[in-house]
Amino acid sequence: MKTLIKTALLFLLVVSCIKDPKLPNISYTMGGGVILLDEGNYRSGNGSLSFYSYDSSKIYNDLFSSANGRPLGDVPNSVLLKDTKAYIVVNNSGKIEVIDPSTFVSKATIENLKSPRNMAILSDTKAYVTSLSSDSVAIINLTSNTVSGYINMHKTSESIIVAGSKVFISNWAGGKEVMVINFANDTVVDSIQVGAEPESMVFDRNGRLWVLCNGGYARKNNAELYEINAATNRIEEKYIFPTIDDSPTCLNIDSFGQTLYFIDKGVMRMDIGSPSLPTGPIIEQGGGQYYYKLAINPLNGDILVTDALDFAQQGYLYIYSYRGDFVSKQKAGIIPGSMCFNLTINSQTN
Amino acid sequence: MEITKKRTFVSHVKNTLVYMVFFLPVHYSGQISTDLDTIKIKEVVISRNKPDTEASGYKKTKIDSSTLVNYSNRNLSDMLSENTDIYIKSYGMGGTSTVAFRGTTASHTIIDWNGININSPMLGQSDLSLFPVGLVDDVNIYFGGASMLLNNGGIGGTINLETAPVWNKETVISLNSGIGSFGSYSELLKVKTGNNKFQTVTKAFLQGSENDFRYLNTQSIQSRITETRTNNQVSQRGFVQEFYYKNSENLLSARFWYQSADRNLSHPIGIPDQGEKQFDQSLRTMLNYDRVVGKSNFSLTSAWVMDRMNYFNHVDTIDSRNLSKMLTLKAGFENPIGDFTKLKIVLDEESNVINSVNYTHKTTRNTASASAIIEWNKARVGTTILIREILDRQTLLIPDFSAALQLRLINAQEYYIKANLSRNSKIPTMNDLFYGSGGNPDLKNEYSLIYEISYEMNQKISVPLRLKYNLTFFRYAIDDMIQWQPGEQIYWTAENIKKVISSGAESSLSVDYKYNHLNATIKAGYILTLAKYGESKYKNDNSEGKQLMYVPVNQANASLRMGYKSFYTSWVSSFTGTRYTATDNSAFLNGYFINNVMAGMKLPLKSSSVDINFNVENLFNINYQSIANYPLPGRYYNIKILFQFIK
Repeated sequence: MKTLIKTALLFLLVVSCIKDPKLPNISYTMGGGVILLDEGNYRSGNGSLSFYSYDSSKIYNDLFSSANGRPLGDVPNSVLLKDTKAYIVVNNSGKIEVIDPSTFVSKATIENLKSPRNMAILSDTKAYVTSLSSDSVAIINLTSNTVSGYINMHKTSESIIVAGSKVFISNWAGGKEVMVINFANDTVVDSIQVGAEPESMVFDRNGRLWVLCNGGYARKNNAELYEINAATNRIEEKYIFPTIDDSPTCLNIDSFGQTLYFIDKGVMRMDIGSPSLPTGPIIEQGGGQYYYKLAINPLNGDILVTDALDFAQQGYLYIYSYRGDFVSKQKAGIIPGSMCFNLTINSQTN
Repeated sequence: MEITKKRTFVSHVKNTLVYMVFFLPVHYSGQISTDLDTIKIKEVVISRNKPDTEASGYKKTKIDSSTLVNYSNRNLSDMLSENTDIYIKSYGMGGTSTVAFRGTTASHTIIDWNGININSPMLGQSDLSLFPVGLVDDVNIYFGGASMLLNNGGIGGTINLETAPVWNKETVISLNSGIGSFGSYSELLKVKTGNNKFQTVTKAFLQGSENDFRYLNTQSIQSRITETRTNNQVSQRGFVQEFYYKNSENLLSARFWYQSADRNLSHPIGIPDQGEKQFDQSLRTMLNYDRVVGKSNFSLTSAWVMDRMNYFNHVDTIDSRNLSKMLTLKAGFENPIGDFTKLKIVLDEESNVINSVNYTHKTTRNTASASAIIEWNKARVGTTILIREILDRQTLLIPDFSAALQLRLINAQEYYIKANLSRNSKIPTMNDLFYGSGGNPDLKNEYSLIYEISYEMNQKISVPLRLKYNLTFFRYAIDDMIQWQPGEQIYWTAENIKKVISSGAESSLSVDYKYNHLNATIKAGYILTLAKYGESKYKNDNSEGKQLMYVPVNQANASLRMGYKSFYTSWVSSFTGTRYTATDNSAFLNGYFINNVMAGMKLPLKSSSVDINFNVENLFNINYQSIANYPLPGRYYNIKILFQFIK
């Protein structure tokens, strides 16, 4: 049991969304909940921030602009929580907003990033940010909130995950590799050949890195799921999706590091020990729905999935229990995307 | 702040009729041409069998020649947005600009060059910012069903850019130079010479701008800061040559039009500059032969059009190169049957070849159509019936048709009731069908039923005073509308998805006063467009019954033009209402009211003349956006000098 809790805590860290020790000072953030980024339309500058409160079971939209008097930016892509700060990577605005997760007030803006996508915090003072359109990963100085350098990978980068002194970075757009970086000296130490367009990655309880390869934009390759030994960088197992139309995204794992989740026209679930890919979804995607992003509540296993509908109107956040039973449907902003849990131990409902 | 969400939309429009009465009408009413004309354009007939010559029962308008002269060194987008209530969407000065009618889309609007569709076959639309007004002699606008007299697919309407010779024995050389704010300049040279049998017209232009205007950064960290637009330069050049020959029975013409544009594309507000550039190049050629034998007319036209469009984005590393070629052959035959009936047959054949890095291979398409038009006119009643069959990629489409009726209410007086009912099909664009990722070769054509009824009058009230009024009600039911949307694949695909119902009214009033050396024209117009997303297949779709994105419910404009002896002046106002930027109407752009004033004088010298005018655009320095986060300039100025030499 102790190991289980330890593992759970480890994954809270890895997923980089840990509980906020400070009591938030806004009523609806009191009981904890989920920060949700509404991407808005590409080049329309209408990205926004929503918060789903577990306390009141309500969603609050447009919180960044309410708190700061200006829009969040163009396509906020990912959000990461670290102590009393949340880092929002705003892709097409080329910036990271550093906000107070309880008030949503911006404390700093890290600028001059080229198409930033995802962030990993390596220490109190250092982080990496991946880039969709440049060949380099940016090194961020978290004290001065500036770009302090770059690691040239000669490839674009997407998903990023930390294990010990290693950082694994996937080369998504047009790529097929996972790069391994030693963050002590910011050098590329290895690369692992995987399937076409590795899009998302998680660690399981056994220290295995799972890499979901989407198959590529042009649909010339089948999607694949790789299981990699993070200590040796060797591929242990490979699962090939049955049809060319399978285009899975958003690999997630529960806080026990035991159960994988991803979206493939519905929410799919797979045990890490499973000999094969799941055959059907646990949550089906209905007509006119477009399941876009996924998150698993680390405390109670709730499955949160966003629906972008036609990508030009306010979408929905759906909450299902870990069993896959419908709990709640909330109207979010335009193209609701990435989520990050900001929970206190007592805040979980149902 | 331009975008404000969560506003509960309260319609101002309680009663359309009330509006119609109080907020009287618009439209660049055709025949009203004041003495402001700096160039006398004589009445000419290029060809007696233009398919649209008299067809009764349709709404057509013509931009008056004085407006064309005043905008000769500007682009079609500016001219239409300030003088008509057709809706223009613009990415900003020099940026891409598209046009739409009555709640339909830009790809439902056809831009014709002397009756030949020159829309990009890839996009199915044209960028109006690339058309200098000074290159054309006439601009005719065909609304709704009227568009079918020229082409298929212009569900919203067709804008026909015409060039025509003036059959007299003289040489006219004109040089039009302009300079303005933000480093803009323009030069347009026209040389016309010939006699009553042969004419040659040569035009050349060069224009450009830094476009470094100030704008309000609506996304800035410090509230309300203004910034300067960067990477927004435009440079355009072009050359036109036309030859015309006629004798008693035949008319031959050859036209050649080359132009290119280099543009740097500035970034949307709040997004770092992406080093975007676009290069457009077009070569358009046309040969035309018209023959009159007795009461019959024949015409043959062949046109070859090449469009190159290269787009480059440094940040997203996009290097998109596209080349399209289009060959059009059109044959027309017209013959009277009895005293009151006329039959026209038009055959049209268009083939496209696309070379694009965005397509998997070189792609071709062939579309042919046959149309029969019967016109019957007797006493005060006129009718037109059109039937068209289209063969697209070896498949026959359901035939399109249009039926129109026109009643003259009082003998010999210009009071009309016009009504028409049409079914118009729009075949998918080449991108819709074949774009490498997401093009869908199985798409069906879009089609619309169009209902239109209008009341029109043009009446001399007293010797100096003339009144013109038009009130039109329209209704469109568009089905199988093509929309790019997320689907089975990771990328978006084109699907026949939406139904749209668009209904509304257009009203325009024009009062013309001429007395001795004074002339004045007042115009006012209002347009109401209720364009709604139809029933949705999906339960969560909140767009059902909502106003279409980027279609303003309310538009109005008004103008006053005056001339006294050699002086002339004008004040033009236009209002564009709120436009939604989300399909569920949860976000919108505020409306804007823009005023432009102009004053000038024309000095006749012996065999030549000098016309000089000064323009103030956006007089009240309004901050506004036509497309979200693409700012448009505040107040700016330009001066134009036109030298004209006639021998």
